[in-house]
Amino acid sequence: MYITKDGEEIFVIDGHVHYWDASPENQLNVHGEEFINCFHDYQKNLSPKEYIWPREKFLKYDKETIVHDLFVSGYVDMAIFQPTYLTDFYKNGFNTVERDAELVREYPNRFIVNGAFDPRDGERGLENLEYQVETYGIKGVKLYTAEWRGDSKGYKLTDPMCYRYLEKCRELGIKNIHVHKGPTITPLNKDAFDVGDVDEVASVFKDLNFIVEHVGLPRLEDFCWIATQESNVYGGLAVALPFVHARPRYFAEIISELLFWLDENRIFFGSDYAIWHPKWLIEKFIEFELPEDIKQETGVDLTMDVKKKILGENIARLYDIDIEAQKEKLRDDVLIS
Amino acid sequence: MLPIQEVMEKLNVVMDPELDQSLVELGFIDDVKIEGSEVNVRFRLPTYWCSPNFAYLMASDIREKVSELDWVNNVTVELKDHSFSREISQGVSNQETFQEAFSKLSSGDLEQLRRTFKIKAFYSRQEKVIRHLLSKGMTEQRLVSLTVSELEEILTGDMKGAMLKDRYLLILTELGLYKDKRQPAFIDEDGKAVEIGAFRDHLLNIRRTRLSMEFNAFYCRNLLLTRYNLQDAGSDQNESLEVKGV
Repeated sequence: MYITKDGEEIFVIDGHVHYWDASPENQLNVHGEEFINCFHDYQKNLSPKEYIWPREKFLKYDKETIVHDLFVSGYVDMAIFQPTYLTDFYKNGFNTVERDAELVREYPNRFIVNGAFDPRDGERGLENLEYQVETYGIKGVKLYTAEWRGDSKGYKLTDPMCYRYLEKCRELGIKNIHVHKGPTITPLNKDAFDVGDVDEVASVFKDLNFIVEHVGLPRLEDFCWIATQESNVYGGLAVALPFVHARPRYFAEIISELLFWLDENRIFFGSDYAIWHPKWLIEKFIEFELPEDIKQETGVDLTMDVKKKILGENIARLYDIDIEAQKEKLRDDVLIS
Repeated sequence: MLPIQEVMEKLNVVMDPELDQSLVELGFIDDVKIEGSEVNVRFRLPTYWCSPNFAYLMASDIREKVSELDWVNNVTVELKDHSFSREISQGVSNQETFQEAFSKLSSGDLEQLRRTFKIKAFYSRQEKVIRHLLSKGMTEQRLVSLTVSELEEILTGDMKGAMLKDRYLLILTELGLYKDKRQPAFIDEDGKAVEIGAFRDHLLNIRRTRLSMEFNAFYCRNLLLTRYNLQDAGSDQNESLEVKGV
């Protein structure tokens, strides 16, 4: 919970967190090492100095750390895990549903775990999706279209098998489809970051919500365009938000574009923890105001009400979270025993 | 001019197609070795995972540009610290097409991709010229009626404006959109003049393109600094995005 200067309570849902294991024991090859190196560079590149972790800690952190950083120091009330398997790089996967579910069991009022699927898993994967719903009660999935699988360096949401998976999601009541583009990428002759496939499936599966993580970056312009056409397309702010510290002017331009093209109800907060720490992201975001010239040019504003929506209210709707009821539940929540 | 200066001059015009900035300016050129008529160029990228297709375009452009020097007989290009270092370095140095180098993983050439990004760069450069003229007080009505020769005339003696205009006209030519000086200065990718009724929407759309390219360039530039522990040599080139009022 973030309490403003005026005493207003802001309920915070972090829509994008990880509990990963990138330790050398779990790395399968050089790609596993390079993957986590790249993540660590992201952290070093955009965080305030005091939030940069030593490499050792960044490789694998324990549950006390994540619980403390999110809920004790980081103002977060609830967090949603977005699993990322990368089984070609990590022996037991990078951030798996199984690992995340341990924390959900321990802190059921705090964490939500999403599932994952990969259409290249064929029929068996469809059964696995059923299993995830029965076992973990998932309401959303995280898709990593650029994930490597042997010679295949990715897939498209428009692949026929992916359609079957989306139909399965519909049937099982999984309604939130989080899509990540990059940074592991495909040597296809097309643009690997292209978000065009989201456009097509969003118009076919109108009853599903498509959340494009990182607001389509590095294809922000295409993402905005798609999101204006499809009302069931949403944007997660992970990766874009850290610019609020490193380059506030860029952040102002980006958030104003998003507010202009999408409107204030379809943008969510996400830290991408442990890449970025929610504490400073939230503090800077609350403090932040759009410069006058941008307000005038785009006609949008980032008021405290809009911030409240982005920090929690918008995603609460997608995950059927009743914020007032949840506040009650969390009032006496014991986090650290 | 020294051979190394000649090579650098050629490298200066090799652009990252995604960011529309020169590889030299971005700090991507790691090392150049010259032995007689043999040139070896080693380059690096901000991450191990940067798109191999864009990397391939850059590597083959390096080869092509440096090969234009008449004293150069052979150019090898080396991409270091990348998930496809070997495929890209060998492929380009052996003058293979992208498809040959990535026979297992790709189906087709990169020309369509190159054009898609050239068009983004075209709009991005156009937006900068328009924004510059608007800031000088030009009306929208006047902007849409402007011909190329009038644009040249108006920006004579305006250093920044002339630089933006030169970059814009260069890409107009590269895309085959330049016919003659009497044509409208501000056109879309099909060569059609932007009309006054559609001007506002056009500007909003190309603003989005420009912003996205600049944002990515900033992100990539800084990731490169982080990855290789470098000092920030050149600050951000984008004058329109200076931090002001925040």
